Amino acid sequence: MDILVVLENNHGSLHRLSKEAIVGAQRLGDSISALVIGKGANEIADQLTGYDLEKVITVSHELVSSYNADGYSEVVMQVAESCSPKIILAGHTYQTRDFMPRVSAKLAIPFIPDIVSISDEGFVKQVLNAKFNAEMSSTSDKMILSFQSAAFSEDELRSGSCSMEVFEATLDVNNVRSMSEEPFQESEGDVDLDSAEVLVSVGRGIEKEENVHLAFELAKAMGAEVSASRPVVDSGWVDSFRQVGSSGLNVAPKLYFSLGVSGAIQHVVGIKGSKNIVAINKDPDAPIFELADYAVIGNVLEIIPKLIEALNN
Amino acid sequence: MDSISFSFFEKFILAGLTLVALASFTYEVYQRLVIVLKGTGSLPFDRFPERLSRVFREVILHEKVIRERPWPGIMHALVFWGFLVFGIITLDHFSIGFYKSILSESAHKKYSYIVIPFSILVIFGILSLTYRRFITKPKALGKTSPSSGVVAFFIVALMATYLIGEMNISPFLWKVNWWIHSMIILAFLFLIPRSKHLHLVLGPFNIFFKPFDQPEHTPVNIDLEGDEDELDAMLTDLTKLTQNQALDIFSCVECGRCTDVCPANRGGGILDPKHHFILDMREPLLENKDVAVLDQINVEAGWECTTCQACTEVCPVGNHVEKSDEIRRLEVLVEGRVPQEYQKLFTNLQETGNTEGASSSELADSLPVFTPEKEYVLWLGCFARHGLDPNFNRSVKNFTKILDVAGVSYGVLDQEHCSGDPANRLGDKLTYTMLREHNMEQLTDTKKVVTLCPHCAVNLGKEYEKYGTVSYTVEHHTQVVGRLMEEGKIKVQMGENGKVTYHDPCNLSRILDIEDEPRTAIRSTSSNFQELEESGRNTLCCGAGGALWWKKETQGRTHLVRAEQVIESGADTVVTGCNFCYGMMKQGLGPLTPEGREEVLVKDVADIVAENLI
Amino acid sequence: MKIAVLIKQVPGSESSLSINNAQNWVDESSVTFVMNPPDNFALEEALLIKESRGEGEVVVVSMGPSRVTKVIREGLAKGADRGIHLEEDDPMEIDPLTIAQRFTAVLKEENFDLILTGLQSDDTGMGQTGVLIGEMLGISTATLAIETDVMDGQIKVKRELESGWFQWVQLPLPASISIQSGLNTPRYPSLKGIMGAKKKEIKTIHASELYNGTKSQSMNSIFLPTTSKKTEVIEGEVDQVVEKIVEILRSEIKVI
Repeated sequence: MDILVVLENNHGSLHRLSKEAIVGAQRLGDSISALVIGKGANEIADQLTGYDLEKVITVSHELVSSYNADGYSEVVMQVAESCSPKIILAGHTYQTRDFMPRVSAKLAIPFIPDIVSISDEGFVKQVLNAKFNAEMSSTSDKMILSFQSAAFSEDELRSGSCSMEVFEATLDVNNVRSMSEEPFQESEGDVDLDSAEVLVSVGRGIEKEENVHLAFELAKAMGAEVSASRPVVDSGWVDSFRQVGSSGLNVAPKLYFSLGVSGAIQHVVGIKGSKNIVAINKDPDAPIFELADYAVIGNVLEIIPKLIEALNN
Repeated sequence: MDSISFSFFEKFILAGLTLVALASFTYEVYQRLVIVLKGTGSLPFDRFPERLSRVFREVILHEKVIRERPWPGIMHALVFWGFLVFGIITLDHFSIGFYKSILSESAHKKYSYIVIPFSILVIFGILSLTYRRFITKPKALGKTSPSSGVVAFFIVALMATYLIGEMNISPFLWKVNWWIHSMIILAFLFLIPRSKHLHLVLGPFNIFFKPFDQPEHTPVNIDLEGDEDELDAMLTDLTKLTQNQALDIFSCVECGRCTDVCPANRGGGILDPKHHFILDMREPLLENKDVAVLDQINVEAGWECTTCQACTEVCPVGNHVEKSDEIRRLEVLVEGRVPQEYQKLFTNLQETGNTEGASSSELADSLPVFTPEKEYVLWLGCFARHGLDPNFNRSVKNFTKILDVAGVSYGVLDQEHCSGDPANRLGDKLTYTMLREHNMEQLTDTKKVVTLCPHCAVNLGKEYEKYGTVSYTVEHHTQVVGRLMEEGKIKVQMGENGKVTYHDPCNLSRILDIEDEPRTAIRSTSSNFQELEESGRNTLCCGAGGALWWKKETQGRTHLVRAEQVIESGADTVVTGCNFCYGMMKQGLGPLTPEGREEVLVKDVADIVAENLI
Repeated sequence: MKIAVLIKQVPGSESSLSINNAQNWVDESSVTFVMNPPDNFALEEALLIKESRGEGEVVVVSMGPSRVTKVIREGLAKGADRGIHLEEDDPMEIDPLTIAQRFTAVLKEENFDLILTGLQSDDTGMGQTGVLIGEMLGISTATLAIETDVMDGQIKVKRELESGWFQWVQLPLPASISIQSGLNTPRYPSLKGIMGAKKKEIKTIHASELYNGTKSQSMNSIFLPTTSKKTEVIEGEVDQVVEKIVEILRSEIKVI
């Protein structure tokens, strides 16, 4: 085969980044197979039958029924040794970061991670805190790749059909030395703005404390977290750990959605790393619009309720 | 009362008790003085006449006590003056016991015309104060103090027994009364050194020795290439109080004026200067009989201080209250415990010589470069240089406009590094040393420096002088503007500014003692000028001092308290003379402005003058 | 307990960075170099483990030209016991497998119980070194640890997962763990530490002597991201605006 895509089980369904990885694979070659490991592998494999793949390989050894780096890397290595793909690829998730380098070392092939796009000569990756992009290439004929979230869109998945195949991996306690417990979530109080993909940010344009709940509702509808500019925190409308700006956090989410934030310099310096900025403000001269990718000139209090409604439908 | 005589036995008892009381008093005072003398440095005797005059005004005239809290101040003054008036009466009282009255009968009678009214005033005074302390119970006075109750009782009893002694009563009763009076005085002697009433003895001395400059902290000399043992000794010494500081602790009257004025406290922080900077160390001092107690200071409180010196300014017994320098330098230099946001700040200063880690400055590039034939080095400071509030750049340009109109030549230093104020005030004396040494070299051929930042002015001048000779003069831009106006080199006219008020930057008014020049400039350009409640040397810090501008977690609302006052004053414009105050006002006024009201305009002195130049 | 902390020296985030003439990296002449911030957390974790056990040795290892001795000294000033400098003059040596082989050669001799790394470097951000080394040494690995609990012969690690999920993993020692930023508060070097660091040992080894195999990947060039920062303005009736926003969120930014 050309390409082996290692898929990830996201609490029972196929991880979005895995779907995107398949799209990436489809760009790079024709003979693509997917690999699913662990409990629920068959259910995940079922979800793939409509995609244009050669086959889906499932591995259900009990030592890899839940994720662990030792087992997964060993399985991928065994599958790769058996099928000899030119490229092994996956979505760039925390899980991929955890075990894929082990595969790279086991097979002595390079791992090019967190790729944002494919170029003529190689693969594009962000460097220096996303200030620059770099073109990377592998000098060996085999390689491991991982794609950043949204490098490709699952909308572009080529449909077709594929077969399922079971692979018997050989594992024992010598090569699976770690014991992992079940993943768990912590209480809501532990909000991590730093790793939030989408931030809905509240500025003074929200006008009153009574309106702040709109931001929280919008965030909920978008699966986002709420952040705020300093004046809002100072007025006590929002907890201080949500403050973004020169005296608060520096954030770099995929989307920074600001509501009535003027874009004062002390705030803006904390959001410069955002990949996309959508700003709603009724003042067409608000400084935030210089930074924004999408400038919505309008009244935040009129737009948000309708937006929440539209998103919930 | 010549007919009264004391038996030998009575005199014997009296002598015995008096001796015991005096010995106890002397011993306790002596013990504390021994501890004080273990402190580092020495007590200052320079500028002797000025020191004496200060003692006269603050002790005899009770100037500060009355000014800061008028009613209780006057009440206390009555008690104090009564105490002075009673001096000779007390001596006379004991003299009668041992031998005979030292005052002749007519002298006694004439003097009693003064003393009797005073004794009434003292009773009135002490009862008012007692009422305040035990019934009104203002927060600043803290927990109910038993010793205060005892002292109040003693004083009233002393006055009462005096008055009774002036009446015509039977010899027996007179003697009983006499003994009561004596016992109270001896009990007093016993109580004084063991309580805050030691200020009766130490206060005048403490005021005498008070530093003329504030803040006053021992310079920390660091030589990284030097001897390791020397460095070790220096680090160990960092926990030691100076003699002056130890004397302060024993002189404290626990009045709480320092905590009352503290901006961190008023903003909801935990900092309580009375306890954290003074009283927390008193017990350790007495227990250890040694001065290495600076590590007792509450660290969290220490980081909240804005170093504004309001506490030091207001203390009636001459304490240099603020000790954030001492605890911070222990945390930074000895423990390596530095809040995260400050670690970044220190690294930026070390790597790039400025607080922002920037490698260039647009503002600096747009201004003329200093060459030796120009009159002034225009010192920009990190705030202006690296656009901590880009609006302030306009104020810098306005100042250069004033200089241009006046025909004054100036230039900026290409290699200007941070004056070091943040490192200095945060306790990172090592980074401060690096910056200071660099800047001193840059300024070798400079005669005159002018800056818009009071923090820079304080460091380039007074602070650097603590480490070596400074060959240039430092002026704040308001001083230069004031002088140029006086010399007629610039002329201004009245402008349309609405109601204007002025916020005194703490570093400018209290530390540099500059309050007039900004006011002159404002009054020449605005017809409607109104003072804020806490102005001049009593100004309320904007909250950015002590490098708190860079503090990420805003605990409490220190930075909003002053902004609130500005809004309440009803002013349309607030003028200030410091870039940090400017930035803080801009940040604070916005969210606090009530709906429907125009936001108060923030201007620097340079702005209001430049806007109204003729 | 012997703990190795791998530290990288990277360009500071506030440095003004410009692309060099060869267009394959930044012009280093105007760069301020600093300790890779994630590695700072790894170092602090190592020091905390040593302090809580009351025994142990923390060794700082860094690869790069002579300027990296600065971050090694920083580590020593904060409390590490000694340093190892793998001297490598070519900043373009980015191949993770080569880098890992070199570290492995040095680490293998010393039999470390624990190898800690930051989650990734702020410059190239390949994020693999710790795990590669773990595999090459034949020891267990875990990444993105936000809490560590070292016991005798074992380590429990709380891994951070996406979207607020976590997982505890128990591994036998020796292990190679990458540390998530923010799990502790890195200390500042005390004055005594800075003085003492001058006397602590830094051993220098030429990296190429440790391993000089063929590179498997390279960085051909770097360039500025094409910021099509043309701001798209959206105005009009509330309903239309809302519709447009939903479309943008779905198709262009792809967050819903």
